[in-house]
Amino acid sequence: MTEKLMTAPGVANTSSPSGEVVLRTHNLSKHYGNRLAVNNLNLEVRRGEIFGFLGPNGAGKTTTIRMALGLIAPTSGSVEILGLDVATQRANVLPRVGALVETPALYLYLSGRDNLRAVASVLGGVPKARIDAVLELVGLSARQKDRVRTYSLGMKQRLGVAMALLQDPDVLVLDEPANGLDPAGIVEMRDLMHRLSAEGKTVFISSHLLPEVQQICTRVAIINLGKLVTEATIEELTSRHGEFAVTLDRAEQALALIQAQAWGRDAHLDADGALITPAPGERGRELNLFLVKAGFAPDTITQATQDLEQVFLHLTNGGSGEIK
Amino acid sequence: MSATITTSAPAEQAAKLHDAKPSFFGIVRGELFKIRRQRTTWIMLVLLLGVMILPYIIEWTAPNVQSNIQTDPLHFLYNVLSVGMSIVRVFTGIFLLVLTARVIGLEYQLGTIRVLLSRGVGRLQLLSAKLFTVAVIALVLLVVGIALSYLLTVILVAGATGNLNAFSALNSTFWSDAGTYILTILVNMGVTILLATAAAVVGRSLAFGLSAALIFFPIDNIGTVIMELAYRVTHNNFWLDLTAYFLGPNLNTMPVPLTSGRVLAIGQAPLYFADQTGAHGIQVDGTHTLVVALVYAIIFAAVAIVLTSRRDVLE
Repeated sequence: MTEKLMTAPGVANTSSPSGEVVLRTHNLSKHYGNRLAVNNLNLEVRRGEIFGFLGPNGAGKTTTIRMALGLIAPTSGSVEILGLDVATQRANVLPRVGALVETPALYLYLSGRDNLRAVASVLGGVPKARIDAVLELVGLSARQKDRVRTYSLGMKQRLGVAMALLQDPDVLVLDEPANGLDPAGIVEMRDLMHRLSAEGKTVFISSHLLPEVQQICTRVAIINLGKLVTEATIEELTSRHGEFAVTLDRAEQALALIQAQAWGRDAHLDADGALITPAPGERGRELNLFLVKAGFAPDTITQATQDLEQVFLHLTNGGSGEIK
Repeated sequence: MSATITTSAPAEQAAKLHDAKPSFFGIVRGELFKIRRQRTTWIMLVLLLGVMILPYIIEWTAPNVQSNIQTDPLHFLYNVLSVGMSIVRVFTGIFLLVLTARVIGLEYQLGTIRVLLSRGVGRLQLLSAKLFTVAVIALVLLVVGIALSYLLTVILVAGATGNLNAFSALNSTFWSDAGTYILTILVNMGVTILLATAAAVVGRSLAFGLSAALIFFPIDNIGTVIMELAYRVTHNNFWLDLTAYFLGPNLNTMPVPLTSGRVLAIGQAPLYFADQTGAHGIQVDGTHTLVVALVYAIIFAAVAIVLTSRRDVLE
């Protein structure tokens, strides 16, 4: 784990991405009695990003999302979307936001299509062709006339996404969008996220599927006990700064040699037998020279990385809800 | 999910969609759409229709109906008006209790309230649009109920006597009393809708809202009986006086004092009697019943508005 990720609890690593901020929280807090669900949270999500919002159960993700959507009033702080304050400009800003919060909330007695019609009536200006388009997009055209109570969880999830896309929003807030989807559905959802991003839409995703988040998201924020633990790009989080992964023969002997060096005490073998090691002067070329001179010609030397899951577990103390 | 379709709307749609904002009448349209698509709505309407027709069938099959009409047509028509309108009042009330609890409670129960609110719909905007929708349905029901009662009365009279001569006995007082009765039904509908609204908002579920709303009036009426028992045991007028402030009994009796007793009402009235020792209980007049109904309506509305606007949506 790099020094950058080993920050003190609650201290955010803020990367400095460019682009217009479309969703921003200012010192956002929410108390439930004596319990602090969200604690002074500051986030910035930029246009076109697929932003992952991660945290263990009870970390305050859904509370934050509900505050962003005007469903819960913050105890203090504010949320700004597309430059407008959600609390005072909700009627102007929220129609530009599509949301799927937790499990999809649907009218079970209506068909899939009628669910979309019911929401479209409220918004006004949603033509029939748009309803057809979003049904096609989420693959529910064939079942559009069936009552939603007959849908599987995955189909309900798709309909929830269709509902979120109905008004062609600029910002999408999706809480566990892959919930209930089969592997093919998850791949399709991933593809959908990428297309949304490519079309300039901003996607804010909360998910427990960390491998998916790692593949989909450009940047993530990790919160724990309501506090921001880190906010960084996937690359920043998963790369082991100054460490290299080396595949070579006689890895254990090479490891012993490296560990004897002042710069190599943290070297170790990973689960696949690759040598994970710092480099002299933090340069891969120097590491290569050292190994070759010592008679350990490497097959490959690459920048060492780690899974987002490992980073997440480390930062959230194994997802136990305590800050590391 | 389709891999070939663009997620964005075509340019000609996009501008329209971009400008789309929730509107009061858009919400009302959505509510009417959802109500129309509920099977329960239609089942309840059929039942309501059947109940409205029932007293006329009973009257039709009653002995001496022809002589009753011919002997004192005005008295007969007052009776028909009282029974017909009482049925409309009570059963449209039950229909509206169920409908309102469903319209509001189901939104909480299914969690769909968060779908609507997260689109920018205001909490009070949503509540008022829902109430407006139910009020429109209530008015349609009332008009249909009145028209049906009138039609069935005509059929009853014509069927029993072979002519419509009995209607010539109707005077301006009758029509005035009929109008007053209709106004009391409107008051009843308004308070009923607000009661169900408050119950659904407090419980934030269909189950609680429906149960609380449906049980209110039976408790109200049974409460009157309990007050009577308490009076018999204690001989304290307080128990009788208390019933003058119960909602159900006041709504039940409202048309009677407002028409100087020319129409009848069904259901438990506030307790009052006079004997050689004096008056016991409070003899309510029309104004009293209206004020009691108004106070309850204000309380129900205040509870619904305050809770809707202040509570977080956790569904």
